[in-house]
Amino acid sequence: MTATLDVDGRSDGSPRGSTSGLELVALSRLTFGHPTLRIGLSVGDRPLVAVGETVTPGGALVDVLRDPRIEILAGDEGTPGARVHLGLGQARDGDGPADGELLFTESGRRRVVVGDHVETIEAPASGVVRSVRPGIEVTVELDGSGLPGTLGLGVPTHGRLELATDEGGELRPGSVDVGRAGTILVVGSRVDAETLTRARAMGVRGVVVAALPGKDTRDFAASERRQRAALHRLPPFAVLVLEGAIRRPIAPPVMDLLRSLDGREVGLSVEPPALVFEGEPPPPPQPDLVVVRHGPFAGRTGTFVGLAGIRRFRAGVHLEAASVRFPTGETRPVPLADLVRFG
Amino acid sequence: MSTEARGFVAVDGGTATTGVSLIGLVDRAWRLLGSTAAPAAIPVDALVDLLARRLAAADPDLAASVGLPATTARGAASPVESWPRIGVATAAPPRLAVVAATERTVGALSRAARGAGWDVTAASVAGADVIEMTNLLLERDVSTVLAGSADPVGGDERNALPELAALVAAAARRRPGVTVVLAGALGEHEGRVGEGARAGAAERHDGADPGVDAGAATGSVMVAPSATAGEPPGEPLRALLDGLARATRDDGRRATVRAVATLASVLDRTVELVDVGFSAGLRVVATPGEPGTDPDVRWAVTRSGALVPDAAPDEIVDGVLAWSVIALDRHRMRDRLRELRETPWADADGDGALLRLAVARAAVVRLVAATKAIEPRSAPDLVLAAGGAWAVAPGPAIALGLADVLRRAGASQLAYDHARLLGPLGSIDDPVRRRSILADLADDLLAPLGGVVVPAGLRPGRSAGRLVVHAAGGSTELDLVPGGLELVDLPPGESAVAELQFRDQVSLGTRGRRFALELGGGLGGLLIDLRDVPLRLPDRLERRRELLAAWQQSLWAGIEQ
Repeated sequence: MTATLDVDGRSDGSPRGSTSGLELVALSRLTFGHPTLRIGLSVGDRPLVAVGETVTPGGALVDVLRDPRIEILAGDEGTPGARVHLGLGQARDGDGPADGELLFTESGRRRVVVGDHVETIEAPASGVVRSVRPGIEVTVELDGSGLPGTLGLGVPTHGRLELATDEGGELRPGSVDVGRAGTILVVGSRVDAETLTRARAMGVRGVVVAALPGKDTRDFAASERRQRAALHRLPPFAVLVLEGAIRRPIAPPVMDLLRSLDGREVGLSVEPPALVFEGEPPPPPQPDLVVVRHGPFAGRTGTFVGLAGIRRFRAGVHLEAASVRFPTGETRPVPLADLVRFG
Repeated sequence: MSTEARGFVAVDGGTATTGVSLIGLVDRAWRLLGSTAAPAAIPVDALVDLLARRLAAADPDLAASVGLPATTARGAASPVESWPRIGVATAAPPRLAVVAATERTVGALSRAARGAGWDVTAASVAGADVIEMTNLLLERDVSTVLAGSADPVGGDERNALPELAALVAAAARRRPGVTVVLAGALGEHEGRVGEGARAGAAERHDGADPGVDAGAATGSVMVAPSATAGEPPGEPLRALLDGLARATRDDGRRATVRAVATLASVLDRTVELVDVGFSAGLRVVATPGEPGTDPDVRWAVTRSGALVPDAAPDEIVDGVLAWSVIALDRHRMRDRLRELRETPWADADGDGALLRLAVARAAVVRLVAATKAIEPRSAPDLVLAAGGAWAVAPGPAIALGLADVLRRAGASQLAYDHARLLGPLGSIDDPVRRRSILADLADDLLAPLGGVVVPAGLRPGRSAGRLVVHAAGGSTELDLVPGGLELVDLPPGESAVAELQFRDQVSLGTRGRRFALELGGGLGGLLIDLRDVPLRLPDRLERRRELLAAWQQSLWAGIEQ
């Protein structure tokens, strides 16, 4: 028999023979260093930076074509992905594009992607451009640290972080006015599409929220599409979802980090979904601090006491459990998979 | 692994779940000593350590007999850490882009690629513009491009082929790490596409392509038969694409296929496996051949058979709603599915457990619909459930879930790969050794869920006949009421003879009125399923939920808690 794969899984530095069982609780990174921002490109999009170039917050990275179309030029010269000047002989009005991206050449005819309207994607933080691949991607290694989320919507942006609610709060449309222009709002447990649309209209640069229901995700995306179809120039705006789709408070260690960043300039990256901030990340919380993410104790923080073995839970389901001591003093068994610790 | 080893560790590294088992040599036979599963992020060593300590605490003598002492000094290495490990890792199916001149050719090429386990995205010159097609070929997770035409070229394709070749050549130049397969008459343009790929390789200056597995057969341009060539049509192309897919990291599913084939051979039974995983579904049908010959094995992997596919469009959400016993509107169900995809292990009790079983049923329906080509001709002798989708449901509820969605006239034994051992055991290269270990472990690795008898062609009425079950504990007699679900208590390890006497002719694999079947028991006992084939459920969701809940309640102890 041969082992077909190295499956040595000691990946989190857990000590050999550790008996506490804490290593069986999923570890979530509170922050990660030097996020690599990726901007996926379609053919015709124009990178505005070169590999190795340094960028600053708000610096232009890419012009994205909103209305790509094909023009056919005579000739064989040029390589796929290269910019091609359209020349004077084209039947275009004076305001048309000056150049486009060559797709391919066939029988002396060049297919070139051009467009009249562009949207500029800006850098959410300072960093160094690592790759530029027309039609594929631009990547930028950002300075500082990232707070990871699970979903990013919109385009990269930056602004001053402002806590609009507490960790379990919800922002209503009436709470957003022009006084919050230029900010990235932390809005607690959930937000709806109407509030997001109003926030963008008021000049807010982004929203950080624990959960965004699928309906609001779709409604917001549809609103963005309508604006783009009307060729409105949209200010950069992003939504960073930290957890998922069902309402829940922002985890306390994450909220502590956001509180420490209140009033500071931060960026929002959409791919990967993350909040980017300068400076060293804060120290991780105490190792045995666990947060319950699902079930009857969802949202509560406690201390990991030890493994509780396989226990019977609701609906008669048997699951691996841990004993968790809550600040109220009670100790309860909680399914291991409903717990998360931060490191 | 040396033959002197007294045990080994089997690891199934899934996309969402890691399964770990301890296998020990007990009385000269390999036995399952313990198994557990956890989210994929949990270190394997922590799970191995947990199992070793539990074994030592539960049965110190057994633990000592395989070399595991009852206590290990804190911080010291446990002897189990020196045990050999076998394991497999399963990843999402690799992605392949199909382009052709016509939708007809795209369809044929896509079928061949899906049959080889690829996740396929497709576009044709007839159905998309060159911008869409180029964007598709340049997507970073596309590792292989399959471009093709009929051979000889169809009249509707001829004029588009030079442009299609130019488009593929340009994409190959921009992404020199991608493998390009030219099928059918498009292969005549190999020179042009190859020139593009070579030029791209020469210009490459920004490191490896992140969308391409570094270990895969990258950067080549190859010519293949058309999607309709060979016997059966498309088989040569499918075989070539299968070879390319093997070069990726998806060895877990292929190992499972080998294990199912070996199991069919060991048991001398037709075995069907439905594996609902996090990133894809796998279906295998293995039929034992004559003594000394290999079993006939057909299998297919499809992303649509995953627990929750990446994007959950309305039809996926509606499919789950159709099996759900929880009252949720479409928006809330979509949110629950998204959460399940984000954290597949969390929220596994209460409503979450019921939701998982509905999701698993819907996934099997999609898996079966996408793999009709390997549908067994009759009900297989043994149906195996595998994958994390079933992990939290009680055995009898899994049996009902399978009986709900695999509607075939006949009798089958149902079992569950509870320890996730099929993949790791299938990774044993030596077929003789694999067979020997599987034969030892056959009783341990499969949790018997029960036997199921599904007669088809019952006429509606008060009674369709009588059933007498002769078991070791005595005989049970039942009236066969069409549309009902009868449950006969038959524990795991026991077998019984079921005599069925119908008033009219029915189909139970063969047509007849009297049948005598020998069946094994299981956690769910013996299910006499007199419901329609295929299952007909009320259109109204409320009524449907009530019916599903009533069936489920009888087989899920503690569901109300």
